[in-house]
Amino acid sequence: MPELRGTVGGPVVTEWFGTQDLYKLDVYKQKGGYAALRKAMVDMKPVDITNEVKTSGLRGRGGAGFATGTKWGFINRDMPGPKYVVVNADESEPGTSKDRYIIENSPHMVLEGIMIAAYAVGANQAWVYIRGEYDEPYRMLTEAIAEARAAGYLGPKPMGIDFPLDIRLYRGHGAYICGEETALLESLEGKRAQPRSRPPFPAVKGAWGRPTLLNNVETLATVPWIVNHGGSEYAKRGTEKSPGTRLMSVSGNVKKPGVYEVELGQTFRHVIMELGGGPPDGRNVKVFWPGGSSAPVLPESMLDTHTDMEALAAARSMGGSGGVIVMDDSHCIIRAAHRLLKFYAHESCGKCTPCRVGGDWAVRTYERILANEGSQVELDILQRVSDALQNGRCLCGLGDSAGWVIDSTIRHFRSEYEDHALRHECNVGAVTALA
Amino acid sequence: MTVLSEHILEEIRDLPSKFPQPRSAVMPALDLAQEELGHLTPEAMTEVAHELQLDPGYVEGVATFYTLFHLAPTGKHRFYVCTNLSCMLRGADDVVARLKSEIGVHEPGEVSKDGLFSYEEVECLGACEYAPMCRVDHAYHYDLTPDSIARLVAERRNGGSAVAAPKKARAPRKRKADA
Repeated sequence: MPELRGTVGGPVVTEWFGTQDLYKLDVYKQKGGYAALRKAMVDMKPVDITNEVKTSGLRGRGGAGFATGTKWGFINRDMPGPKYVVVNADESEPGTSKDRYIIENSPHMVLEGIMIAAYAVGANQAWVYIRGEYDEPYRMLTEAIAEARAAGYLGPKPMGIDFPLDIRLYRGHGAYICGEETALLESLEGKRAQPRSRPPFPAVKGAWGRPTLLNNVETLATVPWIVNHGGSEYAKRGTEKSPGTRLMSVSGNVKKPGVYEVELGQTFRHVIMELGGGPPDGRNVKVFWPGGSSAPVLPESMLDTHTDMEALAAARSMGGSGGVIVMDDSHCIIRAAHRLLKFYAHESCGKCTPCRVGGDWAVRTYERILANEGSQVELDILQRVSDALQNGRCLCGLGDSAGWVIDSTIRHFRSEYEDHALRHECNVGAVTALA
Repeated sequence: MTVLSEHILEEIRDLPSKFPQPRSAVMPALDLAQEELGHLTPEAMTEVAHELQLDPGYVEGVATFYTLFHLAPTGKHRFYVCTNLSCMLRGADDVVARLKSEIGVHEPGEVSKDGLFSYEEVECLGACEYAPMCRVDHAYHYDLTPDSIARLVAERRNGGSAVAAPKKARAPRKRKADA
């Protein structure tokens, strides 16, 4: 294992992180692991578990931030026939590494959360869709599942309860779009990963046409703590509407990049300048992406924005996946936006025209600007493409995300765009000269 | 004579029963094929389709959608170097430039003359606190510098025992010529 960079011994999810060999079942149990599963299956009714998660106010940590307990409640537990829990471990949002951090530290915590969720919604089988590049997390989950099977936590009668449980792994093959839940389901079914129209929602018709609960790794890893300590205890942390903590992957131009567990409502100044150690000496923060590359950028002047979802919405951005990318003043916003548009263009699944065509249009336009061939025409094209990608013109959020990169970087750095496109100058050079 | 060996075809035939619906076997099956041949040839995809009772065009459609399936030959050691924002801000472009000169190729996907190396510039691999980083031979490598990526190349070129051979190395490449 490489050196751990992030929170150990934190308030909720990372409480036991840093413990030697926590990935092993016996160590995890010594810390108190699988007590929550016992409590859930032996002492609680399934509906009580769901209610406890509702009380906690936990919201999905994958990106959309939907209320987890409410999502669990959508599954009709009494419906006959198979139901599934599908775990989104396809972490691919640029700047996001928290799910990898969780799995590598404590794979059993993820499994325990999955088992509790499966019991709560009445699913006997769970599938973890893990991105194909995650070799080490895949290996660790494979071993943890084998340990859990041998110990009887998975199998015909976990905790002595007549409720068979099984967890299987499915490896992705490199497609960002699979982070979108219906695209993930298509992929799991052996198809090109193109998002589905909703309704029907996965809770009604999900994996293989059956009712399916889809949750992110971090969301499920939070569940054992909630069951152990109670939903109201979790809700005491964070803000009223965004309770609890979340893991934020802080990366880019900071001295101490890492995955930090942050109580929601803290400021980005705290996350970036204190936890992340701030930018390199002699540099200033220029801009940051507060929730993965899809979250509209915020300039340095907005470092005091709070991390809860409401504060971010008021700042015209979002909490997204918790990936905080920091860029210092030695870098050019046009180049950064160009790199991200290349990403969105590459990852477009091709189903919706604005996204399939718009990404490439934007990339070519950025390339003209960067080659000093820009003019007002290029600025107008970027604005038009950005508008065409947003506001429900695409089936999923990928198009919006691409549009937000263009839109938010223009909004906060219009003069830099104009320097580049109209005057063929890069003002980063000027900043460098001043430094 | 098939391009995929009989034991691989047998493994592929066993896959559908592991899923609630058989179609889910297509990607694990393509994995097996790619592991054996190094990349997915049209013949291999046709054989996968045959074993899974799917249309060859369908299987190819799946294979072309995902970046981890390779439809052209690659080097024995494939470098997947992240060049997305978090890595770019910490010098990924310099790492790629050095890698290209070390293995003597000009563009992603091009195979080095000795057949040992190729590289891809890939999107975020989810290890941003260790940027810049890459994946090679089923393992991540962190805090890359131009010099450290040169070392990764040298270790593989010298075939040091410290470097685990990639899985597909067990597949004889000449099989394609046999077919």
